[in-house]
Amino acid sequence: MAAPLELSCWGGGWGLPSVHSESLVVMAYAKFSGAPLKVNVIDNTWRGSRGDVPILTTEDNIVSQPAKILNFLRKQKYNADYELSARQGADTLAYIALLEEKLLPAVLHTFWVENDNYFTVTKPWFASRIPFPLSLILPGRMSKGALNRILLTRGEPPLYHLQEVEAQIYRDAKECLNLLSHRLGTSQFFFGDMPSTLDAYVFGFLAPLYKVRFPKVQLQEHLKQLSNLCRFCDDILNSYFRHSLGDG
Amino acid sequence: MCNLPIKVVCRANAEYMSPSGKVPFIHVGNQVVSELGPIVQFVKAKGHSLSDGLDEVQKAEMKAYMELVNNMLLTAELYLQWCDEATVGEITHARYGSPYPWPLNHILAYQKQWEVRRKMKAIGWGKKTLDQVLEDVDQCCQALSQRLGTQPYFFNKQPTELDALVFGHLYTILTTQLTSDELSEKVKNYSNLLAFCRRIEQHYFEDRGKGSSSIRLS
Repeated sequence: MAAPLELSCWGGGWGLPSVHSESLVVMAYAKFSGAPLKVNVIDNTWRGSRGDVPILTTEDNIVSQPAKILNFLRKQKYNADYELSARQGADTLAYIALLEEKLLPAVLHTFWVENDNYFTVTKPWFASRIPFPLSLILPGRMSKGALNRILLTRGEPPLYHLQEVEAQIYRDAKECLNLLSHRLGTSQFFFGDMPSTLDAYVFGFLAPLYKVRFPKVQLQEHLKQLSNLCRFCDDILNSYFRHSLGDG
Repeated sequence: MCNLPIKVVCRANAEYMSPSGKVPFIHVGNQVVSELGPIVQFVKAKGHSLSDGLDEVQKAEMKAYMELVNNMLLTAELYLQWCDEATVGEITHARYGSPYPWPLNHILAYQKQWEVRRKMKAIGWGKKTLDQVLEDVDQCCQALSQRLGTQPYFFNKQPTELDALVFGHLYTILTTQLTSDELSEKVKNYSNLLAFCRRIEQHYFEDRGKGSSSIRLS
């Protein structure tokens, strides 16, 4: 527990400590569980790696992917879920699956595939944080990866036109947001008064959607109508991230 | 579970007949609807629904658990069928290509395998080992087992589409012969899930005289 834990992740903006969902999930979980993380924001020097971010480094380990990082932190006794019942633990897995299947495609689309958003906001933001000449290649690759993931998980390319897939994924995402809103109700967090893994995931996926200023905003508009979800994000930002608002 | 009269037909080109490229699909009058989600919606529009009695929070939970099954069990099944070399060589290739003459059987099987591998890579399962996949299945079964508890169905007395989905996957895992029993062993570790499958099989399938293979309990 004394070994320093370093997290490499994408930086922040628009009032968020990070604009990257997966990085945000890990940062939120670390705050909730009290894990002392030293956050290394990726910038446009050649220091540090860029692929597969977020990455947690300790003296002897390198862990990538949010699920694995959270598992690692739990094994180090930083556990935000120890007060949950077995049933609540099961619910956590189920809701995370819901987020990944129904919300993630539309979030990926909003950031990386929707042309207006990608070219005016996402690409310039990421390119400014990647050293030249990688900045010419990496954002394009991330965009293709996102499009690929959407098409492969949402039907077979020859049979589906991209527009039909788009309509479907936004419908699914809006339904997912509605379901989350119903589930949260008037509680502060998803399982009572203390935030847990599920809260970290929901925050990680919702906060960038909520705060980043995009030209094409249909999903954002829908989210803003669900006031309890917005309040949820704002509460976490104010309580846990007040001192580490990122650079614009 | 809805008491609807259906006739099950097996066709080799089922995947091509389906509007979305996925099976199963139902053919009603002049309409064709494929995949569980749309079929449930379609049946609901015609006045039959299993989940009308649930409140909003329960509906959210039901949808979440259905996604968990799709996310973990379905993907694990696909992985085992198409990315595990032993299974692919011994069982899947032969089974998938069996309705077609040579060389179509090989070509189609390889094409499907390539497609599935692409998908696995896109969602981050490309680098998983078989052990990790089995661990994920175990986690998923544990979650389902905890949610089911001692109830007869996931939402107590009445079955819903979640029960149908879970039954479909677990029954297939338990009754399909693979190169090793590891996958079905994972499910068998949870006695309430076994009892659940047995109950549904007896209640909905054996009573109608459809004598499908019963679940082996070892």
